[in-house]
Amino acid sequence: MKVLAILCALALACAAQDVAKRGEQVFVKTCATGYCHGVRGVSSGAPRLAGRGFNQTYINNVVTRGITGTGMPSFGERLSKADLVAVVAYVATLNGIANPDSVAPVSSGPVLSGEAAHGAKLFSDAVRGFGRCSTCHEVAGFGISVAAPIEQVPATVAAFKALATPNVRTGTTAGESMPVLVLSDRMQSTLFYDLTSTPPVQREAEPGAVKFSDGSTWRHASVIGDYNDAELAAILAYLRAALK
Amino acid sequence: MIGRMRFWPILLFSISSALAQDAGATHADWPHYGGTQLSWRYSALDQINTSNVKALTPAWLFQTGDYAENLQATPIVQDGVMYLITARARVFALDAATGREIWKYTYPEPARSVPGFVGNRGVAIGDGKVFFGTKDNYLVAIDQKTGHLVWRVNIDDPRQCGCNITAAPLVAKDKVIVGGTGGDGAHRGYITAFSTQNGRLAWRWYVIPGPGEKGHETWKGDSWRFGGGAPWLTGSYDPALDLVYWGTGNAAADFYDADRVPAGADKSKDINLYTASVVALETDTGKLRWHYQEIHDDLWDWDSAYEVLLMDREIHGRMRQVLVHMNKSGITSVLDRGTGELLKVFSVPEVQTWISGITEDGKLVRRNEPQIGKTTTVCPTAAGAKSWNSMAYSPRTGFLYIPVNELCEDITPNDAPADEGQNYMNGAFPVKLAPGRSTYSHVDAWDPVSGKRVWSMPYKYVLLASMLATAGDLVFTGNPEGEFFALDARSGNKLWSYQTGAGNRGGSSTYAVNGRQYIATSTGWHVSVVGGALLALFPDQDWRLGSTLVVFALPEGSR
Repeated sequence: MKVLAILCALALACAAQDVAKRGEQVFVKTCATGYCHGVRGVSSGAPRLAGRGFNQTYINNVVTRGITGTGMPSFGERLSKADLVAVVAYVATLNGIANPDSVAPVSSGPVLSGEAAHGAKLFSDAVRGFGRCSTCHEVAGFGISVAAPIEQVPATVAAFKALATPNVRTGTTAGESMPVLVLSDRMQSTLFYDLTSTPPVQREAEPGAVKFSDGSTWRHASVIGDYNDAELAAILAYLRAALK
Repeated sequence: MIGRMRFWPILLFSISSALAQDAGATHADWPHYGGTQLSWRYSALDQINTSNVKALTPAWLFQTGDYAENLQATPIVQDGVMYLITARARVFALDAATGREIWKYTYPEPARSVPGFVGNRGVAIGDGKVFFGTKDNYLVAIDQKTGHLVWRVNIDDPRQCGCNITAAPLVAKDKVIVGGTGGDGAHRGYITAFSTQNGRLAWRWYVIPGPGEKGHETWKGDSWRFGGGAPWLTGSYDPALDLVYWGTGNAAADFYDADRVPAGADKSKDINLYTASVVALETDTGKLRWHYQEIHDDLWDWDSAYEVLLMDREIHGRMRQVLVHMNKSGITSVLDRGTGELLKVFSVPEVQTWISGITEDGKLVRRNEPQIGKTTTVCPTAAGAKSWNSMAYSPRTGFLYIPVNELCEDITPNDAPADEGQNYMNGAFPVKLAPGRSTYSHVDAWDPVSGKRVWSMPYKYVLLASMLATAGDLVFTGNPEGEFFALDARSGNKLWSYQTGAGNRGGSSTYAVNGRQYIATSTGWHVSVVGGALLALFPDQDWRLGSTLVVFALPEGSR
């Protein structure tokens, strides 16, 4: 039992060093760079971090939340959980904490298969500009939530292309008709997306200024034309994995 | 055929006749970020002038209440109404004579935190709307009379691109055109134009050419996808030539080029087009007419994103349609704005070690390049011989008015791979004071035709506020200690100053209401990015933050 405990402690120390090493890589790229903390936290504009007597809770809070009113941003959503833990551990070592706590990184989200991973890239592929899915859909933290969250993933590429969009209606204002997605049509104002072209334009109008009618000539098939069938299949695989 | 062609130059000359001497001057209004679309930051108003500026006194001030960062915006004025925006996109319409609030629009705080710096350098007006960019990367149009939302459109997902909008948009014809940040990240920069009327996309021009496009051969492998170049400031527009001019950002990774230059047999390809360039785009289509690259294969974070001044000047006895543009290194190019031909080039900082010089045809001599495994000291710095704050130009003196900083840095590059939307500077570069000096900045007057400095007014610390020139032969700017001051445009002598109470790191403008001339300036230091890095160089200083607009005029009855 005692031997086991010692082994564990050693293993933890080793793991902590690995984590801190990873943290150093994150630090070099994210914190040391630019006008910020400099190599090994000795300052390059932003405050020095090395040898300041910071404890790990403090470091974790600042890295995660940032400091309002200063140039220190919050990294809570910017870094992966694993990188966050690692960089906090590394900054702890700069402050004399030899064996920082290194909570085992929790993997976030499902592990994606080859095709689904490819689909994930295609979904938000910057090379496609406004022709990518993420122009209108937010999935797993990426993309613009113009459309409502995806609830059902089409079973096949054919079904994907034939997707019905009954919530897209026709708006008419000043003699012009356009496909629209209505967000709210209240007493105070009317808020809707104009889907005439990509990217969709969110517009606000006086109540009654835009007349809405059901049905539209707009088709989902016409905005996924940047992808071929194999790519659409990969995107479906991604959506099935991500929305499980 | 040949005979007919000979007539063309004459015809072209008569069609696109020279600009009037004060074409770039503002009058009662200050309608654009750079004053007019020619970006001179110069006003024809001369009620306040060298003989009476001593009497200049605050008329009113406006506290925005948004102290999240600071106030950087250049105030826009039309028909006696001022439009002002804060760092977190609170937009105000104010009575420009009294500061009374007419309406206020508060852009909703993004639900999730978004990457990128928080700051906003101004709104644009046109087509009855006020346009501005946001930190979550939307271009927004609100009604100029009511402040109500008209439309908004997302430019790109900031969580993916690591980019957003801090610049004022440019309105040209029926389009509102905007550049974005992200030049120091793994991102492919672009300029996007939308219909002022309904926000629909008009065009997007990518700084880095894609596969099959000319210039693509200047990028290694897939590096074009993340090669930076983000044009993060505001361009200019020549209505006669119908061309939009913009400066593009540095190549990324900033301090390390092995992953982005082709490095084949043909060394002339190792230039990373169209980063660190001035480009002329057709207003209706976004099509590239010409480009001029100021820094081939940039390795020092030498953005060319800064303002583009359009003017006509006589050069070698011939009236030329020129543009003047400064790169972050301080290299300043005078180009024929019809063709992109280089007519003159000069460098403004006194301390310059990244090159030993520049030839008349714009070639950099003995580049002192950062190298992996070494630390290289260069001057000036990635904070800029000048930062994003604009210079000004007076047609009365013919001089450019430029704030210049004298700093150095130790660049230690690394070879980290690109990670989409994440920082891709690949280097640490602690900034330090240039050695052997007691002053670290100066306001200069430069003649763009001769390329010579006419006068220089030294300042102890650094200068990071925009310049304003007027027909009263005055040049205004502010310093980090809070002093807003006026110099004689012909001599550089300081004629007036006022302690505004907080560091100056924004833009100024001048306008008139009911015959009274006002001078307005944004105040409040900031500690993110350049402002913070440079404050750290002066440990005894504590330049004050804030977010207050201060407006000056001559006392009533003294005019």
